[in-house]
Amino acid sequence: MNNINPLHIGALLIVTLIFSLFELHGTKNRLEDAKQEYRSVEKIAIEVNSIKKVYADKNKIRNSISRILKQPLLKPAQLNIKRSKESIKIESKSINSIALNSLIGKVLNGSFNITELKIKKIDKENASLKMEIKW
Amino acid sequence: MFTKFKKSSITLFLDPSSIQEISIETNKKIDIVLSPSLYWVKKLSLPVKSVREVKKLLESIFEDTLLDGDYSYSAYKKGNDFFVFAYEDKKILEQLTKAGISPSNVSSIHFAQSEIEDIEIPLKINNTQSIYIKDDILIVVPTAWLSESEELNLDNIKLSKHTIKLQQYGHIVKNSSLYKIGTILSILIIIIIVEIFITSSKISTIEDKKEKLFTKYRLQPTMIQNKSTLKKYTKIYKRQTKLRKYISYFLTLKLKNDQKIDTISYKEKKLNVKISATTQNNMNSILSQLDAKNLTYTKSLKNNTLYIEVNL
Repeated sequence: MNNINPLHIGALLIVTLIFSLFELHGTKNRLEDAKQEYRSVEKIAIEVNSIKKVYADKNKIRNSISRILKQPLLKPAQLNIKRSKESIKIESKSINSIALNSLIGKVLNGSFNITELKIKKIDKENASLKMEIKW
Repeated sequence: MFTKFKKSSITLFLDPSSIQEISIETNKKIDIVLSPSLYWVKKLSLPVKSVREVKKLLESIFEDTLLDGDYSYSAYKKGNDFFVFAYEDKKILEQLTKAGISPSNVSSIHFAQSEIEDIEIPLKINNTQSIYIKDDILIVVPTAWLSESEELNLDNIKLSKHTIKLQQYGHIVKNSSLYKIGTILSILIIIIIVEIFITSSKISTIEDKKEKLFTKYRLQPTMIQNKSTLKKYTKIYKRQTKLRKYISYFLTLKLKNDQKIDTISYKEKKLNVKISATTQNNMNSILSQLDAKNLTYTKSLKNNTLYIEVNL
């Protein structure tokens, strides 16, 4: 009569089964959370990476601006270019409208972070220019 | 009738015709000797060697003998013969309950057949019945049929190893069904545990992949920092997009012949445009073009010059 009651074993198995089901449910939830978090991190990672390539890649931006500024068309404008660690400042006391259109057109069509811009008409053909681009 | 056997452990003879409740210390263990009234017994000579082989045949051996009920079976070998037994667990449990004995206090249960073997004179087990051996089988007979009988005394009986274990719920669910249910439950538990391990492994894999993302995309150590960076550059992107869009609005304005854009300036998130030779009348034309683009701005007109300011 000291043998283990089979119903006790059955009850133990049922309790174990219920506990296992709860644990499985919790683990599945954790998996779903982990998947969502992964998707969220991946989305942010791709976005941060893409947007930083555009606005924070110092070398790329400097090279792009240098290419624009090397245009022979801009030589008469006698651009005053000041480069620093964080930005580039471009100034001209007098730039003709063709050169200005070319320069501004290229800058506005590029992905540059323009923090300052001032174009002031001097006369019918010329204007003064002040521009700062940061990265 | 219950006969006390030892002081340290108690041996009781359980007989349905002489049930009376007894008081036993709760921690005392009891050895039960079943009266022949509580089981069926046969002595057989079978062409098998082991008790294990006999046990497979027990149900069919008793098939035509037993009344309706849920029976359990037992057997032991003595010499070349087998003693086979059929008994109802439920019936024995009922007798124990009537006697006030908890199953947890029962140490062992024996058949009287295996414990009371060598008696020469019939032994009284209650007021009207006695037991005696006929053809090696212990049977119950009315005492009145006998010429002489003695009181049952278990003092000198050494209990054998032939015991049975009662199935307390055997009459509700068959053991085979319990085993099947237990097996199914165990398999389910194993499947679930395996599933938990697999799921946990998937979580670890995802965590590893997430760590690799940080390396691959050169992210900052915490997601708060990365979100902050994304927010900062998204703002820059939106502002720069607006700047280009609004400048294009002004550069495509339809102005009168003498009107000119004198200055376009952008600083500290403010875009300022100065348009010369503007009167009250043609100012409205300019503003209506800007309104059509849903542009929010502030304006002022001083000395025929229109000043427009747009916040980015």
